[in-house]
Amino acid sequence: MKKKLLLLMSLATFAFAAQAQDTTKADPPLTISGSVDTYYKYDFSKHSNIPTSFASDQNSISIGMIDLALKKKVGKAAFVGEMSFGPRGQSQSIPPSTTDGSYHVQNLYVSYDVTDKFNLTGGYMATFMGYEVISPVGNFNYSTSYLFTNGPFQNAGFKATYLFSDKASLMAGIFNDAWNVYTSVSKVNTFGAQLMLAPAKGWTAYINLLTGTLSGTEIDLTTSYQITDAFKLGLNAADFSAASAVGTGGFSGIALYPQIAVAKDVTLGLRGEYFKTKTGSVTTFGPAPGSSVTAFTLTANIKSGPLTLIPEVRLDNNKNITDGFTKSGGVTPTKSASQFVLAAVYAF
Amino acid sequence: MAYLYQMKKLLIALICVSASHVAFAQKELLQLDETNKYVYYQVVDKPGVVADTLYNRSLTFAKTAVPKTKPQNVVANAVVTKGKFLVYSGSSVVRKEGGEVSYTLFIESKDQKYRYKVSDLIFTPYARDRFGNMVAIPGVEVPLEKLTIKYSQKEADNYLAQTGAFCKQTGETLKRYMDKLSNIRKVEPVKKVATDKW
Repeated sequence: MKKKLLLLMSLATFAFAAQAQDTTKADPPLTISGSVDTYYKYDFSKHSNIPTSFASDQNSISIGMIDLALKKKVGKAAFVGEMSFGPRGQSQSIPPSTTDGSYHVQNLYVSYDVTDKFNLTGGYMATFMGYEVISPVGNFNYSTSYLFTNGPFQNAGFKATYLFSDKASLMAGIFNDAWNVYTSVSKVNTFGAQLMLAPAKGWTAYINLLTGTLSGTEIDLTTSYQITDAFKLGLNAADFSAASAVGTGGFSGIALYPQIAVAKDVTLGLRGEYFKTKTGSVTTFGPAPGSSVTAFTLTANIKSGPLTLIPEVRLDNNKNITDGFTKSGGVTPTKSASQFVLAAVYAF
Repeated sequence: MAYLYQMKKLLIALICVSASHVAFAQKELLQLDETNKYVYYQVVDKPGVVADTLYNRSLTFAKTAVPKTKPQNVVANAVVTKGKFLVYSGSSVVRKEGGEVSYTLFIESKDQKYRYKVSDLIFTPYARDRFGNMVAIPGVEVPLEKLTIKYSQKEADNYLAQTGAFCKQTGETLKRYMDKLSNIRKVEPVKKVATDKW
């Protein structure tokens, strides 16, 4: 017995020693990452008013989702498979769906590095458009912007990316004719392109285009600049015109995201957004066509290791009293709405 | 049974001590220089070898070790090159790229000895992007000696230990080049069985 235990001890010691030396591998065999999020929201009108995505349940301790992502790369070939379980990843991010009957794929694609600078990717991918994302880990604010809610979440397609240098790359691809669906309605005819520029250290800018005869045309600028160690400024501007096959109208808007780290584990951020709907037949998750809304969200990110606590207050102000907000009781229209959210996000 | 229980406890304790000792030892490979910055610095004796020879060998190493960067000759018989390597966060199934550490490698040769220094160690954290890939966060750079300002002691120690291990490994590879040992694996003749003789 003693001999066996000594042998075990030796093996364990060698295993740990080998692991400590093993730091220069190009890629771990299989990467598992993801997040879990939960929140409490209280709208001061005592019912949900603000129509943007997630954090939707009034006066309720509710769940977002558990998000599980797998990634493996062998040589030049890689895959990513990411699934979410919970309202945030299911009915709340698949616009036509109203049930939570199934899980939702966030990313499911394969990619191949033809060269160090040229990559091909195909499958169902998070959209390249916009500043905010579905995963709560990727956003600073817990509630989302009107630009995010009304833009695409995911696009299925095939894309090619060429990296000119660390400061510039170009992506072009062909995508399904509709957003946020696993299969096309009938065609693969939406064209997408992204030009990435990094004009200065810490500053990245993405100019995006997505256009199709069914999906409409969206032009988007997403940029962020880490100006100092503590201060970061982000900006998102977009314009969307609905396809004539669907109707007329669309939206345009701009959102500014200043964030400042006030302590090692505490960062404060403001999101100021102006969102305008175009006159026409297409309605948005926002004010009525031809109107606008201004929204301010003050958020703190308080980190403790992998856990982030996110308290947030938000004030939205519609242009017209008939744009959708109502006072307590849900009948009397009002121009403004406000809410408090406390969320907890655990990333792994 | 009591004996087995005691041995089990001893085994667990030994594994814990061994693991922490290895991580601690790797971290301790780094030293603070005169400017309070982490460096990995070694002087190696090479009796009977002149400076020119050592310089040429160090140049070959630099070109091979960091092929994308052109080595510079800033001082006589010295080579300077820059590179970066990945460090990982988490453990077991959730182990993934935590960031990258950029560095400057300086190798100087004299008659019968050479020295090398890994310095300018800067950590750039990674975050998961929307496509599920771990990518560098633009504009965020943390010198290794300031890791504890931004990260927990445990995270900082982990990255320092991995950096120490990388430097040690680099030093061992450099030594092979300076000793001019063959870095090409010998091709073993394929053993074939003679099936016509039985």
